[in-house]
Amino acid sequence: MDAAAAKYIGAGLATLGMIGAGIGVGTIFGNFLSGALRNPSAAASQIGNLFVGAALAEALGILSFVLGFLIFSAQV
Amino acid sequence: MAGPLEQFEIHKLVDFPDMTLPFVGTVDLAFTNSHLAMTIVFVVIVGFLSLVTARPEVVPGRLQTVGEGVFGLIDNMTESMIGHEGRKYFPFVFTLFLLILGMNLLGLMLTFTATSQLAITVTFAILTFGLVMVIGVVKNGFGFLKLFWPMGAPLVMRPFVGLIELISFFLRPLTLSLRLFGNMMGGHVALKVFAGFVAAAAAGSLGIWLSAPVGLVSMSMVVALTALEFLVAFLQAFVFAILACIYLNDVVNLDHAH
Amino acid sequence: MAEPHEPVAAHSADGVQASTAAEHDSGGGVPQFEFQHWGGQIAYLLVLFAILYVLVSRVFAPRMRKVIDERAGAINGALAAAKQVQAEAQDQARVAQAEVADARAQSQRVAAEARAKAIAEAAERSAIAETEVSGKIAEAEVRIAAMRDRAMAEVGTIVTETTRAIVEKLTGQAATAAEVKAAGGAA
Repeated sequence: MDAAAAKYIGAGLATLGMIGAGIGVGTIFGNFLSGALRNPSAAASQIGNLFVGAALAEALGILSFVLGFLIFSAQV
Repeated sequence: MAGPLEQFEIHKLVDFPDMTLPFVGTVDLAFTNSHLAMTIVFVVIVGFLSLVTARPEVVPGRLQTVGEGVFGLIDNMTESMIGHEGRKYFPFVFTLFLLILGMNLLGLMLTFTATSQLAITVTFAILTFGLVMVIGVVKNGFGFLKLFWPMGAPLVMRPFVGLIELISFFLRPLTLSLRLFGNMMGGHVALKVFAGFVAAAAAGSLGIWLSAPVGLVSMSMVVALTALEFLVAFLQAFVFAILACIYLNDVVNLDHAH
Repeated sequence: MAEPHEPVAAHSADGVQASTAAEHDSGGGVPQFEFQHWGGQIAYLLVLFAILYVLVSRVFAPRMRKVIDERAGAINGALAAAKQVQAEAQDQARVAQAEVADARAQSQRVAAEARAKAIAEAAERSAIAETEVSGKIAEAEVRIAAMRDRAMAEVGTIVTETTRAIVEKLTGQAATAAEVKAAGGAA
């Protein structure tokens, strides 16, 4: 296989990690919303936890995205 | 046509002679487009804050309302996250938030996005992490290590949980910087890719039948993505500020929390 | 494929064009990872951050807090003033109510007095009128009595005259007054 083609395939595969981040962030915000609708008075106090969780989940996805870009732009 | 990554290139606008420092090595002192973007952001922020606070009135005008809204947002954040000591750390978080927000927003105005430079985001992250470390050690001394000894966990599990805590603690600057960098870069690359499709369609290089639909769809995608990017620009600055608050809270209120 | 350093070296020459061309050929290295640009940016950002931090903590934040505190003070002051005014108004209302009640009582008293006075006056006047009227009646009765006496006296005279005339006609001689009188008296 051509090295450049392998590079692009690898980059694409690496960015698949963002799927997980998407699922994670969606789960966090969805659960927050359903919880907040059940008990709106407690929602405001959990905004911090919400963002920490979302940020942590998203960070992993971003890691894979950056990794994909690194592979994509590597000099072969 | 320019590639999607070209927007992140750094051009020297004014070149100064390189400086060689001990330990650091050769430092390029050129005034680049990144420096220009940072300068614009800085000037705009200082101008905005001066305007807002120059002639403050008890009944605020429009601009003052905006300024006090931003002020109140961060003030409430530090107050509610860190507690009554939050006021001490407010200037840091406020500065952080304003600079990141300004750079993010400036990047959407067809100019250079300073926060899509890893160097910038790493600096922000290291600053925050360094402040957390310094405060943790100064305030708690060796008690700082309690952060990695979770009292909530069963005794058997504590070393493992502590190890995970330790690793995640030292991953913080990495995740902080990469989150902002990745979001900004990803958003701008996506924008540029779709804008490239529009340009290609306009140039007619896609053929007669494909040009119009591809151009239209891409154009609407560009518009939608731009709106999304404005949201992301604010959200990432907000998340950075809120995470800084949380990390500060970890070490400021170490005795109460654990 | 270009070396990673090549586009950068091209900058200082007439280079932007050349560098983008080189990027294009190579498929690009990510520009953010050209580490020779890091030092300048980081140093500049640190300087800007430090300046802004000092400005915010020394100038802007205190000013903002001052305004916000002032506003809170003004709002509290206005609320207190409003409460005070309300209390004053209530006080005044109470005073006014008392005054109204007072005035009503007074007016009732005045009215009662006036009525009493009017009644008294009316009684007085009617008493005066009554005495006047009864005086007049008495006077009239006196006059009537006098008139009757006079009439009666005249009747006596007429009787005497008549008697004398009858006596003269019948006897041809005049009767003395005493005789007539006695006769009249007997008649």
